[in-house]
Amino acid sequence: MVGASNNPAKLGHAVVRNLVEGGYPGEVYPVNPKAGEILGRRACPSVEEVPGEVDLAVVVIPAAGVLEVARRCGEKGVRFLVVISAGFREIGGEGARREKELVDICRRYGMGLVGPNCLGVIDTYTPLNATFAPRMPRRGRIAFFSQSGALGTAILDWSLTVDLGFSRFVSLGNKAGLDEVDLMQESLADPRTQIVLCYLENVQDGGRFLSVSAEVTRRKPVLVIKSGVSEAGARAASSHTGALAGSDVAYDTAFAQAGLFRVRTLEQLFDFALAFSSQPLPRGNRLAVVTNAGGPGILASDAAEAEGLALARLRRQTITELGQGLPREASLYNPVDVLGDASPERYTWALDRVAADPKVDMVLILLAPQAGSRPEETAQLIVEWRRQHQDKPLAAVFMGGASVEGAVERLKKADIPCYFSPERAVASLAALARYAARCRRAMRAPSPCPPLSGREKARMAAVLDRVRADRRVVLLASEALAVLESGGIPCAPSRLAAGPEDAVRAAEELGFPVVLKVASPHITHKTDVGGVRVGLESPDEVRRAYLEIMENVHRYLPRAEVYGVEVQRLMPPGTELVVGFSRDLQFGPLLMFGLGGVYVNLLRDVSFRLTRGFGPAEAEEMIRETKAYTLLRGYRGEPPRDVAAVVETLCRVARLAEEFPEVVEMDINPLVAYERGLAALDAKMTIGDGGAGA
Amino acid sequence: MRNLYVIGPTGSGKTWFCAALALELKELGWRVAYFKPVGTAAEDKADEDALLFRELLEMDSPPERIAPLSSSPIYLWRYDAAGSHLDRVREAYAEVTRGAEVVIIGGAPSPYHLASLGLDAAGVIRLFRPLVFTVHRVMNDLSLDLALFYQDYLKSLQAEAAGLVLNQVPRPLVDKARGLFCPVLEGRGHRVLGVVPERTEAALPGARDLVELLRAEVLAGEQGLANPVEEVVIGAMTLDSAMRYFRRAPNKALITGGDRTDLALAALETSTSVIVLTGGLYPEARLLSRAEEKGVPVLLTDYDTYVVADLLRFAGRKLRPEDRQGLEEARRDFREHCRHRQIIELIAGWQPEAGGRE
Repeated sequence: MVGASNNPAKLGHAVVRNLVEGGYPGEVYPVNPKAGEILGRRACPSVEEVPGEVDLAVVVIPAAGVLEVARRCGEKGVRFLVVISAGFREIGGEGARREKELVDICRRYGMGLVGPNCLGVIDTYTPLNATFAPRMPRRGRIAFFSQSGALGTAILDWSLTVDLGFSRFVSLGNKAGLDEVDLMQESLADPRTQIVLCYLENVQDGGRFLSVSAEVTRRKPVLVIKSGVSEAGARAASSHTGALAGSDVAYDTAFAQAGLFRVRTLEQLFDFALAFSSQPLPRGNRLAVVTNAGGPGILASDAAEAEGLALARLRRQTITELGQGLPREASLYNPVDVLGDASPERYTWALDRVAADPKVDMVLILLAPQAGSRPEETAQLIVEWRRQHQDKPLAAVFMGGASVEGAVERLKKADIPCYFSPERAVASLAALARYAARCRRAMRAPSPCPPLSGREKARMAAVLDRVRADRRVVLLASEALAVLESGGIPCAPSRLAAGPEDAVRAAEELGFPVVLKVASPHITHKTDVGGVRVGLESPDEVRRAYLEIMENVHRYLPRAEVYGVEVQRLMPPGTELVVGFSRDLQFGPLLMFGLGGVYVNLLRDVSFRLTRGFGPAEAEEMIRETKAYTLLRGYRGEPPRDVAAVVETLCRVARLAEEFPEVVEMDINPLVAYERGLAALDAKMTIGDGGAGA
Repeated sequence: MRNLYVIGPTGSGKTWFCAALALELKELGWRVAYFKPVGTAAEDKADEDALLFRELLEMDSPPERIAPLSSSPIYLWRYDAAGSHLDRVREAYAEVTRGAEVVIIGGAPSPYHLASLGLDAAGVIRLFRPLVFTVHRVMNDLSLDLALFYQDYLKSLQAEAAGLVLNQVPRPLVDKARGLFCPVLEGRGHRVLGVVPERTEAALPGARDLVELLRAEVLAGEQGLANPVEEVVIGAMTLDSAMRYFRRAPNKALITGGDRTDLALAALETSTSVIVLTGGLYPEARLLSRAEEKGVPVLLTDYDTYVVADLLRFAGRKLRPEDRQGLEEARRDFREHCRHRQIIELIAGWQPEAGGRE
């Protein structure tokens, strides 16, 4: 413990005290050149003078001295370094350089590094408390990694009041060395950890984060609280077509695809943790409710619908049996109402029948205390029943306060999660169901998109090369369509014209009627500047439209560079869709699908997927998530559209995104779907330097 | 002695042309001098062209002799209209160009500057009877008319017009300039000596220029001060829409308030040459850490965003003697896009009329 102090006001004292009082079974050596004895232990003047081998060095000294201490620790052969000291990356340029050097030193000596600028580490089973947190959390099944030290301690402190236990806690600090990915991976091997909880502000290596967490979540659920505030740059990076993707959508999509649970509130964290740490996974999403009052039953049904759970339809045999055993007034259909006067025995009898039904995947018991209720005895019988029946997840809601306190206590002790309200219970069961579905899905063999052919790729690259040679990053629509066309996506026939006569020639080649659109990398909203003319039937109309467009554009945007006008054959109407992607800094290309046309920003009927692991199955899911799907299937007498062609287009766009890292964002809007086939009418594409983000 | 005079509107690229020409002639073994009768020195700062060419051509004369007079919006307070300024220019010229075979005379920011002292383009032409080159920046069809206007003006002065260069031609207009502008100009008997496609980084102030222009403090990323700037983006948009603009602007200067760390961080994830924080607001530390890692200078200025944008409107990239890359590119443009051989031949074959010069 480097920087140990006799002064109780100092962190260097608090950490030694926690180590000693936390019951750490190994040797603790305070290091301080001046202090003789700290908390009864003789202080070593320097790291070198610590006897024997050192497993872990905790450093709490001013930043300026940390590098020297790290070097000495390296020489000494220390295995792990926890740097609590602040004064690194978080303070700006000088700190950033210091942190880089610290990382270099640790790498050179092969030392694992936690921090800097962190709160320390806790292992409740060893037990080891190398933090300055005021209290040690209870033992439990949750491993908790937090990027915010303060929030970490707040959660640990709060956990003591709600009976939540932890296996370990690591404050990640600046994440210069070990990060959440390393720790998640390590948790897989820890038998005491059943659930992983992360508080994250950013993710550094999105690819590694995704592959490791996808692996971990196959075996252990991972709950994430992610705050967006501190990684503004990354958030903005996933913005899409006028913020269609919102600021956080890349994280949401990535978490969902990797099977992580995003938790929004501390309450939810507690609720989910309770369910995950005690219940088996359900086989499906069919919920049965046993209640002694109508109102709570309805609340539970509503919540189930909102959370995407199905209310189980009990099989006939179950209903018959319930009818034989329950009073005439009871409701035999799910939610099963055993009535206000239900005895503990009636409750458990009904529970037993319902839980045995193969059409039920999970059960929720509701109890609202009424005149004849005996909550505590009911709880006791449920606990006894549960001992024999553990195959399906079970949750309870004993509503009220003082009169159910004892009952709730009994249920908790027996690992039956008990919630305050039906909504919270249902949400927790739904989380279990989602996780179970995710585990099943993870077993499914992936169906990757078919690759682009070498010829397709070469032709696409040729177009991009020409744009670069022109020293541009924004493609003209005609160029973007050329890239798509080369990549096997059908496009409306079109060509760039550099003067009115050229436009007439183009129109004659393509066939009337035609559409004229201004071609300029500086103009994103062509209609707004009078840059579009549709339905032109003759050479004269084309000529006149060309000049009109040019004059309009020069009037509204005198500084825009105009390359001419794009002439396009007028296509028949169909269902207008939007397909595109934007490259997220952390997670790579984020694919978008939705209802297209001019209202796209208003309707926001869009869904997202990362292209990592994307295939036809994901494309279909993506389409189904939108209202556009209803239109594609044929709405109100409209003929159904070619969904298979849309799936293929999504796959091709995903391949384009994967194989051309220099394309940083792209939208096809509209992509018009027909009864047979489809056509891209307009597209935007921006290239960058080919790096991951830019 | 051959006098070459380079004129053109403000920001058309006169310095670029003079520099390329000077280096070219020097390499061919000519003794070249530079002279700028009307410069833009301030009380505390010498004329930048004078400094540049003094170094490039290894001239001994001090900058205030290479550019003896200065144009400014209040020049009449400095120079008595009745004074003998012509003599002053003549004397400086004689001293500065001693021993030279070719003198490149740099034009004032605009040809009419200091007309009241008799030192506008017409005055300079009368004084030195030079071979005149005109440089134009092409923006649209009307640029052709401006070019014709200049050539007609030279004709009316009975000046020796070598020809003109169409400079910084926007890429979509290059074909039009070659196919439409050139025939018109040549049809009227004017030599077109070059059509140079636009390089935006040559027209915008670089990161180092901004430090000076904005009286800015460099907070981080000092190592990136040589970054060229190709685009200027004013960061006043919402974070969500920012990325689209950022991605479309390579090698950009982002101008934004010190309180918009979010925008600045987002910009750092795209191609950015320099970040200018306005309003004197010191940013959050993580911006500086990231900028340091990325090698992008972060400048802090007390001016507000509006003033910065306004200052940038009139600022151009300054060619500096130590800016090897800039000079290299100037010469490349000259060689690739100008008829450099014809220009040299014109100069070599030109016989200045006797007595026309001092």
